[in-house]
Amino acid sequence: MNVSRASHLATSVAGGMQSPWQSTQLKRIGHLLWPLLLPFSLGLFWWLGSRQEWVASQVLPAPDIVLESARDLIGNGLLQEHVLISLWRVLLGFLLGSALGLLLGAAMGLSETTSDYLYPLLRLVAYVPLLGWLPLLMILFGIGETLKIILVAQAAMLPVALNTSNAIRAVPRRLIEVGQVYGFSQTQVLTKVIIPAAFPSIWSSIRYALTKSWLALVVVELLASSEGLGFLMVDSRQLFQLDVMLVAVAAIGLIGYLLDLGLALVERRILRWRRASFE
Amino acid sequence: MAQAAALEIRHLNKQYHVENRPLTVLQDINLNIRPGEFISIVGASGCGKSTLLRLIVGLENEHQGEILSDGEKIQGTSLARGIVFQEHRLFPWLTVEQNIAVSLINSALSASERHETVRKHIEMVGLTGFENAYPAQLSGGMSQRVAIARALVARPGILLLDEPFGALDALTRSHLQRELQAILKQEGITAIMVTHDVEEAVFLGDRVVVMEPRPGRIKRIVEVPLARPRERSGQRFSAIRDDVMVEFSEPQPEPAPLADSAPQDGWRITW
Amino acid sequence: MNAIAFRRLRRGLTLPALLLLIWWATYQFGLSDSRLFVPPGKLLDTALNSAEGRAIWSTLGLSLARGLTGLAIGISLGLAVGVLLGVSRRLERFFGLTLHSIKQVSLFAWLPLLTLWFGFGESSKLAFIAWAAFFPVLLNTLEGVCSVPRELVEVSRVSGFTRWQTFSRLILPSALPSIFNGVYLALMFAWLATLGAEYMLGSGDGIGVVLMESRAEFRIDLMLLAIALVGLIGFLLDITAKALERRLLRWRNH
Repeated sequence: MNVSRASHLATSVAGGMQSPWQSTQLKRIGHLLWPLLLPFSLGLFWWLGSRQEWVASQVLPAPDIVLESARDLIGNGLLQEHVLISLWRVLLGFLLGSALGLLLGAAMGLSETTSDYLYPLLRLVAYVPLLGWLPLLMILFGIGETLKIILVAQAAMLPVALNTSNAIRAVPRRLIEVGQVYGFSQTQVLTKVIIPAAFPSIWSSIRYALTKSWLALVVVELLASSEGLGFLMVDSRQLFQLDVMLVAVAAIGLIGYLLDLGLALVERRILRWRRASFE
Repeated sequence: MAQAAALEIRHLNKQYHVENRPLTVLQDINLNIRPGEFISIVGASGCGKSTLLRLIVGLENEHQGEILSDGEKIQGTSLARGIVFQEHRLFPWLTVEQNIAVSLINSALSASERHETVRKHIEMVGLTGFENAYPAQLSGGMSQRVAIARALVARPGILLLDEPFGALDALTRSHLQRELQAILKQEGITAIMVTHDVEEAVFLGDRVVVMEPRPGRIKRIVEVPLARPRERSGQRFSAIRDDVMVEFSEPQPEPAPLADSAPQDGWRITW
Repeated sequence: MNAIAFRRLRRGLTLPALLLLIWWATYQFGLSDSRLFVPPGKLLDTALNSAEGRAIWSTLGLSLARGLTGLAIGISLGLAVGVLLGVSRRLERFFGLTLHSIKQVSLFAWLPLLTLWFGFGESSKLAFIAWAAFFPVLLNTLEGVCSVPRELVEVSRVSGFTRWQTFSRLILPSALPSIFNGVYLALMFAWLATLGAEYMLGSGDGIGVVLMESRAEFRIDLMLLAIALVGLIGFLLDITAKALERRLLRWRNH
């Protein structure tokens, strides 16, 4: 490899043109940088635009102002405070909701009777979007913490319950029969056949539920909260503090991303555990 | 009837580059195929037979040496060379009729002519009545028949088959082998088939090309001068089949000096 | 209707009926003095006789029209961009990072910004609804277009497809199931966004406005009616989408 590279360089020096290796390396670098071109150009335009005042600062504040606001908010701990409150609410609601959803979904999936009674009601509730239930819940529970947790939990529970039920019922009969032939007890059929078979589908509904939970949290914090990232957005909007708003948007995006990443890591853990349990 | 094409392969070499090192897949392949001939290619995995087929059909193009069809160099795919893959590769959203018509998408035929020739080919593969069925409704054997019709409907000069019956059960396989034999006898076009199955190769081919791997090259070409339709039970058939099978046998250990107890028919190898 | 289906129907209606019964009983026997418990009779009365009750149907129609308009815009854009990015690797890599980053920001976080930039009028609402529909369609279309099986592409090559034919007769039909998933999600998100935009922007007319105002004025009857209607639309959208899917993708159903 080194010999060929040396000979290539030699010919390029002699021929005065780019060696194949060099052009491959350049191409590789270009390939890596290509996706960054757009964000970089946008950032550049943004910076130029605010400097040259192509746009009013009320419409779009300069990037350095936004960064400064971010630094301030982090510095005086306000941003962390709001982030933690939002995180706490969404995680609690999501965990409660998805746990309940898994339970109900499993009950419906395994028992046709339960499904007959419960599934239609859950389906009916699911037809009403989140915002439909919000005013009712506000009247029932006021605008305290309970409201937020319940709305987030509801947002998580419905997709998980419905999908878990469907996933369990969709496990092919023949797989269950294999378990029975091998003398599996009911529990074993459940843990060794049904759960692994239904897992991928259930898991993707859990990831979807997390997105929905985060969505619900932002909604309720925009409308009925005095703290949290959603509140930060609304509050700064009242005061026309666009820079703070943008920081809040970025924070909401980042937290959403991290939450999903967290789930992806959990998934990897679960899969590793599953693989190990069969070895 | 479509015009059967001749195929000439001269000094064909093909290499892949794996981790910057060249891997020779095909080495100095030379083959002259007469129009209307049926060539079977057998070989163990890794002998490059599928690659050879893909080069002939034009799905892969980088090679050294020449592949000529009726004297013209092959460049890319063409309707003059039809191919049947091991998977049926039917479009799931099209009916049987529409799937076969895929090959005619750019033909100069009028709509009614197209309809007519598609219908004839459906009849040829024995699927009359299934024109409006979707692939999901068909069995493996039926889907493969549609694939064969699709490959033939554009009247290619050469039909290529890449282990076409490999994914089917034994009964369907032998059924389709016989049908393929009949169809090709009727159509009279040149055919090249790659297979793992020595018996299938001898049953269908006029010549059997035996390839060996690493690097892929032609080991031997066996003539099959039997009249069609052929029967697998015949003595001459078995003899030729065994002759080919020999090429895949394990090398025999050196016989002991006192070899009286060595079996006389030591060449009869079971696979 | 056979016996099993009848039993299933009977069971399915049990819980909702039970809840209605509890609700009625709570009012009738004064079990709770919460103003929440309007008598069911009042609800019907409002729905059928009152001015608001009659108006609510046209309001619902207005919201639906708004939602469908935004949906149409979002789906068209999502399809166009999805296809474009799907067929061109270079474009996909150019826009990919930016799009995936923007995607992370939860839908409603954009609403206050939109109101700041475009005010509280109709254009903000439509833009928001279109945005809600855009992303699911974009992502699913992109996935569908990118996952055309290589084996089928080879068939199209052997059959001499032109580039346009490869696109219209192979890539699009193959991507259709994924595209449809995207459209279904877009449908649900668009209806949610319609309500959200109306609720939060408060201006103009719409069922979301009814929800907001009825809560403020403590008109539980109106609110429950609005909720029921919103759910009804959700239901209708769902079955329409499923019926459309069955028709378009009938080759899958065997």
